[in-house]
Amino acid sequence: MSDLDRQIEQLKKCEPLKESEVKALCLKAIEILVEESNVQRVDAPVTICGDIHGQFYDMKELFKVGGDCPKTNYLFLGDFVDRGFYSVETFLLLLALKVRYPDRITLIRGNHESRQITQVYGFYDECLRKYGSVNVWRYCTDIFDYLSLSALIENKIFSVHGGLSPAITTLDQIRTIDRKQEVPHDGAMCDLLWSDPEDIVDGWGLSPRGAGFLFGGSVVTSFNHTNNIDYICRAHQLVMEGYKWMFNNQIVTVWSAPNYCYRCGNVAAILELDENLNKQFRVFDAAPQESRGAPAKKPAPDYFL
Amino acid sequence: MEVEVDEKELKAAGAEPLPDGRRGLRIHGWEIETRKLSILTSSNLQLWEEKLQTSHLPEMVFGDSCLILKHVDSGTRIHFNAFDALTGWKQEALRPVEVPAAAQWKFRSKPSEQVILDYDYTFTTPYCGSETIEIDTEKHGREEISQGGTYSLHWDNCEEKIDVVSLASKEPILFYDEVVLYEDELADNGVSLLTVKVRVMPSCWFLLLRFWLRVDGVLMRLRDTRMHCVFGVGENPIILRESCWREATFQALSSVSFSSSCMCVCAFACLQNHVIL
Repeated sequence: MSDLDRQIEQLKKCEPLKESEVKALCLKAIEILVEESNVQRVDAPVTICGDIHGQFYDMKELFKVGGDCPKTNYLFLGDFVDRGFYSVETFLLLLALKVRYPDRITLIRGNHESRQITQVYGFYDECLRKYGSVNVWRYCTDIFDYLSLSALIENKIFSVHGGLSPAITTLDQIRTIDRKQEVPHDGAMCDLLWSDPEDIVDGWGLSPRGAGFLFGGSVVTSFNHTNNIDYICRAHQLVMEGYKWMFNNQIVTVWSAPNYCYRCGNVAAILELDENLNKQFRVFDAAPQESRGAPAKKPAPDYFL
Repeated sequence: MEVEVDEKELKAAGAEPLPDGRRGLRIHGWEIETRKLSILTSSNLQLWEEKLQTSHLPEMVFGDSCLILKHVDSGTRIHFNAFDALTGWKQEALRPVEVPAAAQWKFRSKPSEQVILDYDYTFTTPYCGSETIEIDTEKHGREEISQGGTYSLHWDNCEEKIDVVSLASKEPILFYDEVVLYEDELADNGVSLLTVKVRVMPSCWFLLLRFWLRVDGVLMRLRDTRMHCVFGVGENPIILRESCWREATFQALSSVSFSSSCMCVCAFACLQNHVIL
């Protein structure tokens, strides 16, 4: 058994790798990721997965439902880390699979694959806690800069973490972005990872936060028409039912973190496409408590004031 | 999460757990219960949007979760739920807070047709609880009159403060729970969270409803409502309520040293009142 296969087996048990192993794995991953396009071509059949957010045991449920990699070809739409308890193990397992089976798993970047966001929402702290230093966080966030921004399945389904950008009309415009950088605060690359579809606008909307685009049905219609695609598949927003179509089936949100933050009670979904691009959503629940390793502690009554 | 309570302790305090697997207990004429359920489904969320006449609600609305404190003799129900809290948000309708990146965005070339949304995405609410009084009337039988009706509770301003010292004593906690009413991640620009915590001791019950907001790089806002009811004082129970609102910008906080009082940079408002049932 090769070192890599052994590491994959170890990660499947939710045991993190040594710091030196992480470093070596990341160096190998960069060689593969640097060759990928900003609009990475993906062949069907493929199974598309949305946000995971460090919910390692729920991702194992996902693999139970969807089948193991490399038998199943996977496309993950980003947000591997933050919020859940096992961002390190989750991301490293996906990355190890990527290095081992580069043509059977595609990882694209979510807005949480960023230095700034991971310092606020948990991944940075988790690395520090599990390794006693931030080196692993540095290696991983360097990898984030190499992740592709989107994927195109059989030239017919465009996949991205967030959504569209007013600066982008054609897929070729995405191909020209220099992606090897921290996610910027504005511009096309930012929009692809951050924007949301919105019912109440038809064209473009600006979030009340003063930053962040919202796009309506007509924007999606013209994008799909211009680029000759059937629909857009994205993640980024929690959906109680695991997936949600909008704008007459022109865009679908797929969410793959069941019982999000361990308290929402939502189901998760993955989208399976067969060789003819026929769709099947597979909905799944969170991993049962007893399969999560350490039992959840009952909180002590709190003498709050 | 359920907390195991010593049955002997419950008995000694004259309390009993609620039947049928409900979470909570009966004690000194009060029935105190929490319900914790999943976030609203998409279709229920849509119903709420229609009822509240809004197109935006928090990402996680725990619409069926609640805390209820019912005083059986007077028919008074004090309860906490997301719907009433969001009604308060809708009415207060604060102006949206701009995130730091907004400054850069002002210089971005804009799509020609652009709608700027202007609802309060922080879901800040003045909510401090809901009240219902069920009364027996000869004609109509048992009837519910909700807040704002003739029989709503009458809170009087008072000087008396919640006795924090007695609450800090390590009396056994017979029932404890925390219920999240709604939560939003502000699209990864911070957090907005409305929760209510309750603890019931042999001598009293105490609760804290907290709205907590952090808009990263911009501001923090805290709106607390505490209620305290001591058992067996006088004929009718008295509930003491304190509401405390605090708010500070990151800028103001970074400009003060840790040693100086943070009050000087916080907008701060506190109000005490009580009600006799």
